[in-house]
Amino acid sequence: MSFLVAAALGVGLFIAIPVAAHLLRRGRAKEREFPPTALVPAARSVARERATLEDRVLLAIRALLIACLAVIGATPFVQCSRLSLGRNAGASVAFALVVDDSHSMRAKAADGTVRFERAMRAARELLASAREGDAIAIVLAGKPARLALAATTDLNAARRALSDLSESDRSTDLESAVSLARTSIASVPHHDKRVVLLSDLAGGALSEGQPALWTPVPELATPLENCGIFGAERRGRRIAAHVACTSPAAAAGRAVTIVGDKSGTPVPLSPRAGVQELGLDLDPKLEHPEVELTGGDSLKSDDRCPLAAESAALGVLVAADLSNSSAKTGGPPVIEQAVGALEASAALHPIAVLPDDVNEYRNNALLLLDDPGGITPEARGALTGFVERGGVAVAFLGPRVDQTPLGATLEPFLHGAVHWDAKDNSDVNTASLAWLGPEAGSLQDLKLQGHADLSTTDLLGGRILATFADGPPFLTKRELGRGTLFTVALPTSVEHGNFPLRPAFLALLDFFLDEARTHRGAAQSVAGNDWTFPLGANVTIEGPRGSLAVQERARASGSAQKAATPTIAGRYTVRLDDRPEERVVTVDAAEITTLPQKPPENAAQARANAHPGSVDASPELGFLALALLALELGVRVFRRVTRERGAAAAVVR
Amino acid sequence: MTAVSALRQGLDWGKLAPLRLRAKTVADGVYAGGHRSRRRGAGIEFGGQRSYVPGDDLRFIDRHALLRHGTLLVRQFETETDRTLCLLVDASLSMSYRGEGAPGAKYAYAALIAAALCKIAVGAGDRVSLDWFGGERTVELATAGGREAFERVVGALETAQPSADLKSDLPALERAVARVERRAGRGSTVVVLSDLLDLPVGAELAIATLGSRGKTLSVARVLDPTELTFPFSGPLHLRALEGEARVETDAAAARPQYLAALAAQTERWSELLLSRGGSLVSLNTAEDPVKAVRQVLDSVGGVL
Repeated sequence: MSFLVAAALGVGLFIAIPVAAHLLRRGRAKEREFPPTALVPAARSVARERATLEDRVLLAIRALLIACLAVIGATPFVQCSRLSLGRNAGASVAFALVVDDSHSMRAKAADGTVRFERAMRAARELLASAREGDAIAIVLAGKPARLALAATTDLNAARRALSDLSESDRSTDLESAVSLARTSIASVPHHDKRVVLLSDLAGGALSEGQPALWTPVPELATPLENCGIFGAERRGRRIAAHVACTSPAAAAGRAVTIVGDKSGTPVPLSPRAGVQELGLDLDPKLEHPEVELTGGDSLKSDDRCPLAAESAALGVLVAADLSNSSAKTGGPPVIEQAVGALEASAALHPIAVLPDDVNEYRNNALLLLDDPGGITPEARGALTGFVERGGVAVAFLGPRVDQTPLGATLEPFLHGAVHWDAKDNSDVNTASLAWLGPEAGSLQDLKLQGHADLSTTDLLGGRILATFADGPPFLTKRELGRGTLFTVALPTSVEHGNFPLRPAFLALLDFFLDEARTHRGAAQSVAGNDWTFPLGANVTIEGPRGSLAVQERARASGSAQKAATPTIAGRYTVRLDDRPEERVVTVDAAEITTLPQKPPENAAQARANAHPGSVDASPELGFLALALLALELGVRVFRRVTRERGAAAAVVR
Repeated sequence: MTAVSALRQGLDWGKLAPLRLRAKTVADGVYAGGHRSRRRGAGIEFGGQRSYVPGDDLRFIDRHALLRHGTLLVRQFETETDRTLCLLVDASLSMSYRGEGAPGAKYAYAALIAAALCKIAVGAGDRVSLDWFGGERTVELATAGGREAFERVVGALETAQPSADLKSDLPALERAVARVERRAGRGSTVVVLSDLLDLPVGAELAIATLGSRGKTLSVARVLDPTELTFPFSGPLHLRALEGEARVETDAAAARPQYLAALAAQTERWSELLLSRGGSLVSLNTAEDPVKAVRQVLDSVGGVL
């Protein structure tokens, strides 16, 4: 404590002044002349008046006023219980605020406040203690981790960015968020850097590194009892409700019911932790049915879930020749196995020939066509209709391109004859496929028996996304209507090379599945996942909290698309070119079942190092002093008015 | 503000004008029948001699006695129709009290009432005397009549200042009473203007004797509103203006007992005066002085 602080706090000793004044006045009622004094009796209450202070209320107010002035004089040296940044020798600080806006942060903390609100309050307090010259970055830990504010010394911008944050039902991506936070302040010149983690620590591992983590609100990571519905699908006249619980105690005594269905029987949960699926009978007369959990827990928002209008599974049509597309060990074609591995919930439909009617593509979003020998005019028309309505079709070209029957072509993928080049030393130019990710490197040193030569083929306005090492196209893409056509110059059969056995093959399939999901739109998706739409589509979205903004975004491949990100679980109505469709957004099951983890050791160390800072409480104390002054005046006026009224009343009597 | 200046501010003859007119009307009606009094003054039958006091009619100075004894004596005669109004005004220190909200000190109010009575009496052709107990710069006025007498009374009232502690000075009070006794003959009216507070023990009997021997006695008790209502609050430390009385008390607790004691004292005075043929009039300095004068007039039978 410095001399200034001691001197300022010493002002508090002046509290003795009003106390002494009151004590001096307490026994001395003002002497007044009164001729008939001899008629006035002495009263016993005088003794009591002598023993008490003249006016306790006024004395208390005056004492508080002086105490306030003393503390104001001592600020900003006086410590306060709210969060603040400690400083090493008063130097500026660069800190990244990692605010967890995931679903689990909507639960109530131990003190009854919502975790997210508590985290925001802590963030505001930390921001309030920042000074000019401090660098602040704000990172959101809801999946995907996002940078809400790049490191800046503009405190007003930081306050605005913080005020724009809101809670969501996203999953948690702590690891990425912490990494992003460290990266965001890595380049600032400040010597003192910190990462402040305001999270319940439920989701993802916390990596060690520098700057060390500081978890200033450890009560956020208090485990809670919760059960939540993370999905409900219609299956015929039944409903499959997916429920997750943190513990057996949370599931005990609770059941799933259909909202509004009074005749329905609640289905009790099994008293166990983890995920469970429960079946309920659906009353077909119910409109927009929802399922909910009986009982209550610390997180109410996931106790109710709307029912997806139809099957949420992604429909995939696979047209592959079983005779040459399967592995020698048997089983379904390699491409079917690959799709099943990538998208377990996908509804796979193997077909022998392409449909002649576009309606046969209904409820499917992706067509995988392996080694087509040509497409007949009827199938071509149906396929074109499917793609124009938003479908995605992929053709893996193989040796059968040389055996195209009369009247059949490869349209709408390509136009003109395609030649099978039986060279055995073709490699894919991995640099041209770098956008696929690190898996693209696995396409080196392929052992192939040839590839389709698209170098002389009309791509019908399509673009080349990747090429072979010697130049011919390996992967092309053509936009048609709202859909997309991809052409791969290699087949999926292991008979013709080891391309399907390389990781890049799975990466490509995942890319195609993602494209299909993007175009089709999942009937049920997890909060935080993007919904993408063709650039030219007219899209409006209404959700639980009003309209959802649709923005144009660049894709990895360089093109643009429209996208929206639903962050709140619930039912959404998407109007795509005036064609309405219902979509349901749910929470991730892991968001319910994952329990808070202990902060890493270095977090505790960082917390210990970050000694409680001092806070300038002058504004608040100033307002308090003013309020006390006004109160003191008010009390005095009130007393005077009351006394005068009493005297007037006595005169009247 | 001194008592004198308060008196001057408190005098409002304009308000008394209707009272003067009424007094004149009443006097004319009463005097039309004539009434005999024991008043001595200008007349036919010699009634004796007495010492000269300022204000006596110079026509009645006994010059023979002056030449023979070197002493100023005036001759007195019995008349048939005149009365005497004897004013005995309390100018002790307690009469200087003025509470919060009161229009003036008690002495100022008493002086106003005394002057008004004097005016009425003079207007009716009666003679007036003025005596005091307590006070400074007081001038005692012998019985006199006419406009000049009124002016002298008013001048004396204006000059006097409340003073003196009579709490333990019964002889001073008795002397004043004796002077009035000498001046007031049978049929005269004696009006005492006092707050009846802080008077010495025995003052009640001394004043009550003024109602004997055919005199009409009216005691006007002049009190401040504060004294009548005790409007204080909280702890009090009170000190009497005369005597050594000091009391510390709580206003709320003491009020009922004080008012009861004041009422008992008033009742005691009233009974005593009534037994001696007198009457007690309670006056409030906050009330209209015209009403107060009427009360006094009523207490003496409506005429002076």
